[in-house]
Amino acid sequence: MSFLHPWMLLGLGAAAIPIILHLIARRRPPTVIFPAVRYLVDTAREHQRRLRIRNLLLLLVRTALIVALMLAASGPSVPISGVPGHAPSALVVIVDNSVSSGAVAGGTAVGEPLRRAAAEVLSRATAEDALWLLTADGLARSGDRKTLTRVVDSLATSSMRLDLGAAIRQADAILAGEERPGEIFLITDLQRTAVSPAATQAPLVVVRPEGDVVSNVGVGSVATGTQPWQFDGGRLIVTIAGDADGPVALSVAVGGRPERQALAGPGAPVAVTVTGLTPGWWPVVVSVDPDELRADDRRVTAVRVAPVARVTWNPADLHLATAVQVLEADGRVRRGNEVTLGGLGRGLSVVFPPADPAEVGALNRALGRRGVAWRFGDPVNAAERSDSGALVGAVAVARRYRLERSTAGGTGVLATVGGDPWMVRDAGVVLLGSRLDPEWTELPLAAEFVPFVDALINRVARGEVALRQGTPGGTVLLPDRTTEVHSGERRWTVEGGAPFSPPATGLYYLVAGIDTMGVLAANVDVRESYLERAGDRAIRQLWHPARIIEPERARDVVFAAGARGDLRGPLLWLALALALVEVGLASLRKRES
Amino acid sequence: MLDHMRLDLLDPVEVSRLGGLELSTEGVVEGFLTGLHRSPKRGFSVEFAEYRMYQPGDELRYIDWKVLGRNDRLYVKQFEEETNLRAMIVLDASRSMAWTGSPDTLLTKLEYAKRLAAAIALVLLRQHDATGLITFDDEVRSVTPAKARMTHWRRLLKELNGLEPGHGTAAGPALARVVDLLRRRGLVVFISDLLLDRDAALKAFKFLRHRGHQVLVLHVMDPGEVTLEGLQEVRFEDPETREAVILRPRDWAGVYQKTVSRAVQAWRVACRSNGISYHCITSDTPFGLALREALASPSGVT
Repeated sequence: MSFLHPWMLLGLGAAAIPIILHLIARRRPPTVIFPAVRYLVDTAREHQRRLRIRNLLLLLVRTALIVALMLAASGPSVPISGVPGHAPSALVVIVDNSVSSGAVAGGTAVGEPLRRAAAEVLSRATAEDALWLLTADGLARSGDRKTLTRVVDSLATSSMRLDLGAAIRQADAILAGEERPGEIFLITDLQRTAVSPAATQAPLVVVRPEGDVVSNVGVGSVATGTQPWQFDGGRLIVTIAGDADGPVALSVAVGGRPERQALAGPGAPVAVTVTGLTPGWWPVVVSVDPDELRADDRRVTAVRVAPVARVTWNPADLHLATAVQVLEADGRVRRGNEVTLGGLGRGLSVVFPPADPAEVGALNRALGRRGVAWRFGDPVNAAERSDSGALVGAVAVARRYRLERSTAGGTGVLATVGGDPWMVRDAGVVLLGSRLDPEWTELPLAAEFVPFVDALINRVARGEVALRQGTPGGTVLLPDRTTEVHSGERRWTVEGGAPFSPPATGLYYLVAGIDTMGVLAANVDVRESYLERAGDRAIRQLWHPARIIEPERARDVVFAAGARGDLRGPLLWLALALALVEVGLASLRKRES
Repeated sequence: MLDHMRLDLLDPVEVSRLGGLELSTEGVVEGFLTGLHRSPKRGFSVEFAEYRMYQPGDELRYIDWKVLGRNDRLYVKQFEEETNLRAMIVLDASRSMAWTGSPDTLLTKLEYAKRLAAAIALVLLRQHDATGLITFDDEVRSVTPAKARMTHWRRLLKELNGLEPGHGTAAGPALARVVDLLRRRGLVVFISDLLLDRDAALKAFKFLRHRGHQVLVLHVMDPGEVTLEGLQEVRFEDPETREAVILRPRDWAGVYQKTVSRAVQAWRVACRSNGISYHCITSDTPFGLALREALASPSGVT
């Protein structure tokens, strides 16, 4: 039993009033001399049992009357199945229209019966119900039955993933603010990879399709290796996702060049070498033959082809010099004047704070003359760690200079320590808050130091960012200097540092002014390729106490499994009947008196 | 002032406030007898009984000459035995009689009964009937033999004036004493609230009837005993037996009244079936009405 106004149950204490009055009246009755006691005794002997029963009945009726009124005021409802009506309820319908719902089984998309079930569930709602619709895009739509039914009818398979546990938690949070009894209806293909733990206070009904799961093969991932590629090309590492039981033929298309064919075994990555590329950003499309789930049969990415940076460094910076020499030996850098490491050069520069604090002022003045909006501020000596980011992970930082903006418009923060900018780029100059020395930071001793220096020289100093991966509908924070995003014919004017949500799969070029500084590759979540369903037992353990039904039963179960019968009417009728009985008993007593 | 008032019709409390037992009783009886003369039920102790054919030897003074003139037949009138009545008033002076539910507006049952007994005695003595008085509680308290002189009334009044409520109630010894005192057939007036052993009392009444006595039972009740009033729960205690019962009058008033009515009816039926006159009188009844009801009955004295 649940209550619309549970605080009214406090009024049940009033049910004790008749009993208390009765007990008070019974305390120490006064003694009266009365000669005709024998008549009283005769009367009592004859009528005591009847009067006692009647008084007890009157007491019970009055108590029950108060209880009935208080219960009615609290708006109780109980689960009742098989009744045409139901008490005003709050219903959240979660329709899983994620990528996997687009799989075709028996000529019909898996999501089709789910959408029909959702429409039938909504058809049972009344104007007194509060309704919400949650789909893979994560939006909670509130509306009446007709509005939400129209949304369901027009619902297409999304290219987004739906975390079922998160959706249940979101629905539970919605219902937490509702006074009406709530219910969550989760209509899903119950993909195992979408299931995550969730606790809910509201009754949960899971509608999942019958029938076997179709097999599926998709492109799981495409890795491009270290970028930028040189003119001699590079290697793409492709993995296959799904439940393929043998080698799968895949095609790789780089730009407009002829497709390359390869065979990839399940769980075994295949390397595809690509050569002869000119400088620039190259789109890469890897695809497999179409099957029951088309959305994951194609995956896009991009590679950046550019000559290696020509760099100058100070041999006194021991650890940095060692890393650069390794990169030089590997062909990732050459000696030259394109990028200056450790100090302010004529061109692109990576500047560390000077070892002598007295030189900081002169360096800041030089930065100002170059038009750099950032300065070295006060020194900070504290054990801190860098905030984990795409460029550098969480590394210990013992000494640093606080980087401060000299103008209001300066942006370009690449890494932070304790919330303060630690690595920034502006006007072709990269400023690091710490020297690349173990006394300042442990980064030179870390395994990621050489790749970091590679990225610092070949991408960061040049104003480029790493290839970013995303999913349709997911959120990606744009690099600070981004001014525009375009994909094919579509363009978005954006602000650096703002979140961006790619609407569909594809490549999104990140532009700063007229320069393309990076690419966002949006592909379906690889977990959507695995169509295996979660078992009912596991579901009941994760989402206790969930009720699992087939789509055909959804219409009958909604507002019946969690569905409530409003008890206010019956309770008020009961109170009226009790009041009549009370009046009858009281008037009988009065008449006898 | 007493000359102009019908004291027999006044409220008993008002009557008691007018003077002592003697004065007020005389006023009551005067009023009662005045009213009686205006009543079609007038009569004297020598009552006409029936006509009988004249037989030789009958006294000529009893021949009804009017009948002879109309029918030309000789009839003689026969009368009830013309003899002075011997009456004994038996008054219950137990503790239960010394109670009233409304001390401000009602006499106690005992005070009411004393005045009623005095009035009856006066009526009887004025008819030259010998009248005596026995008072009792759980034993015989006093015995005043029956005498016909009017001066005897003073003695009866003195006895009644000095009567105080006693303890329990036992009518048997008092009624047995009546048998000793009334050798000839007479009248027994039993005044009580009848809160006594009913079977024993009825047995004594039957014995008196068996001995040829007329028995008149005056059941005196306080109005507070007839109807039960009050909202709160009360512990009711019997002043004689100390028996107690706790109940809420509001709940029990109806059924109690039925019980009382049934008890009164039981007394009435039991008495009538044995030729005993029974009258239930509440202590708010004017004495004149009580006397009329008691003395105008078939077993009454008028």
